[in-house]
Amino acid sequence: MTRLLVADDSETVLLMLQRRLEMEGYEVVTATDGVEALDRLRELGSKEPDVILLDAMMPHKSGTEVLEEIRGKGSKIPVVMISAHLDAQEPERMRKLGANDVVPKPFEWEDLIEVIEELANGDTSGD
Amino acid sequence: MSFNPSLTARLRIGFLVLFALLLIVSLLGVGRLFQIRVDYENDITRYFQLELQSERLRSAFILEQAAARPATAHQTPSQAELDQAAASFSAAATDARKETADDPVLTTKLNQLVAAESAWRKVVAEPLIHEHVPPPPVDRRLTSAVTNSGEELANDTRAARDSARDNARADTRNTTILVAAGLGGALLAALLLFSGLINSMRAPLGRLVEGARRLAGGDLRTRVEVGGPVEIATLGRAFNEMANSLERDARERDRVERMKDDFVLTVSHELRTPVTVVKGFAEMLTAQRKSLNTRQFEAAEVIAESAGQLQKMINDLLDLARSDAGKLRIEPESTPVRPLAQRIGRQMRPNFESKDQRFTVSVEKDLPDIQADAGRIGQVLANLLTNANKYAPEGSEVQLAATQVGDEVEFAVSDTGPGLDQDQLDHVFDRFWRADSSESQSVGGTGLGLAIAKSLVELHGGAISANSSPGEGATFRFVLPIAKDGRPKQKTPADRTKAGAAG
Repeated sequence: MTRLLVADDSETVLLMLQRRLEMEGYEVVTATDGVEALDRLRELGSKEPDVILLDAMMPHKSGTEVLEEIRGKGSKIPVVMISAHLDAQEPERMRKLGANDVVPKPFEWEDLIEVIEELANGDTSGD
Repeated sequence: MSFNPSLTARLRIGFLVLFALLLIVSLLGVGRLFQIRVDYENDITRYFQLELQSERLRSAFILEQAAARPATAHQTPSQAELDQAAASFSAAATDARKETADDPVLTTKLNQLVAAESAWRKVVAEPLIHEHVPPPPVDRRLTSAVTNSGEELANDTRAARDSARDNARADTRNTTILVAAGLGGALLAALLLFSGLINSMRAPLGRLVEGARRLAGGDLRTRVEVGGPVEIATLGRAFNEMANSLERDARERDRVERMKDDFVLTVSHELRTPVTVVKGFAEMLTAQRKSLNTRQFEAAEVIAESAGQLQKMINDLLDLARSDAGKLRIEPESTPVRPLAQRIGRQMRPNFESKDQRFTVSVEKDLPDIQADAGRIGQVLANLLTNANKYAPEGSEVQLAATQVGDEVEFAVSDTGPGLDQDQLDHVFDRFWRADSSESQSVGGTGLGLAIAKSLVELHGGAISANSSPGEGATFRFVLPIAKDGRPKQKTPADRTKAGAAG
């Protein structure tokens, strides 16, 4: 079963994502901020997630910082950044930091599933 | 300039000076003329008196002669008559002397006459009374001396009277010329004074006019140099105060506008999260149709649809707020037209099919790539097609066409719907404007789609326009620049950036 780590600071959004992704058949681990996301990743150990979904803006540690830390450790886990996309340059910047894809907020559900499926099935090029 | 009298003061001073000059000139002129007239009358009277006296002198002398030398032989010379005539002569001479007092020539003539008469009386008359006949040559010489002197006096008096009249005439003429010159001078002075007054206002008034024009042209920092007469200077100061107040108001308006933009931006942003959640859960419920009864499913569907509309509306508001705040950013890149048009066509097709409308997409062959943000231009196309879909009735035709026009690519969305009249065309890109309010209820939508389309196209450096006549359908056209490299460049992520346009 495809395992996802999902981090979003809004608990309702997080719950919605979790329930819908579970309905789609994914195993979902959740975190409400960047620090918690890194904790969950450590806890999972060898059962590392197939795809990580990170909200770009989170308290304590932002999604961007988590992304930098994960890539800094040499991890190759596919990361999808979910961003409010206020700045047109942001997606490009995140890609440079190692994000495999950037999904603007709000997103169409089908688009998100499509991105997750592509990455989970080994297409990590981002293109 | 320390001495700067007001306009009123300048006018008062001007009029006062002018009035004083006119008064002085008039008074002097009239006074002089009056004096000339009085003098002339005095002279004439005096010379007339003198003539009268010289006539009396002549008569007295004739009587003296008659007394001393009677005309007939039976009359004897009379001492008494001679004395009486001599007294009369003397009285007339005394009266005449009064009139000649200030005229040396006439005085001399009078003295000569008196001297000649007394010489005649002593040498001719007295001896005749006492019957001593003087020698005839002496008698003739002395008698004619008196007669000649009398005539000279009379002639000189007439000559003096004539010359007095000539003098008065010349004086009157000269005085009249002088008064006319004085009046002319006063008018000239007044003219100079008033032209100076007008000149002192011209420069500051010109500056005010120029300032008012600049201000009307929108340059709110315009201030004028304060100067000229007090009133004009006051006007200048009032103008500057007005400009200050206008600038202050404009700044305040900008501030409020910014606050409004920030407010809408923040509110829309904050609304997005709960709406996303509602929509997400509602969609999840509709996906679990089997575990819901019909009414529950219906409710879930309505919630999902309404949340979708709400999300679209919030996104539109957010886009406009960003556009107003100058924060709407696009990422233009070389974008092939055909895949973009086809993707939007695919996305919109179900809407047209459900209204039984014939929908065609035609893209010109070998069309160069456009310089555009594919997601945003997709949003523009979706907005235009959504409008066509909503306003065109069932069974009509809708076409999306892309063609090259010069250095640009033109997109045209046309329908065979009811069309728009000129008044509607004027407002079609306004916010919250919707064609015909009675229909808009059934049509739905926020009235923001075309306003956003316009902002986005203009942000790309393009232009959008609407063409229509009632009953003949409507065509919305916009042009975008061709990409600099012009070659197709595939980039999938951009294609996915739909920004929720299909909500």
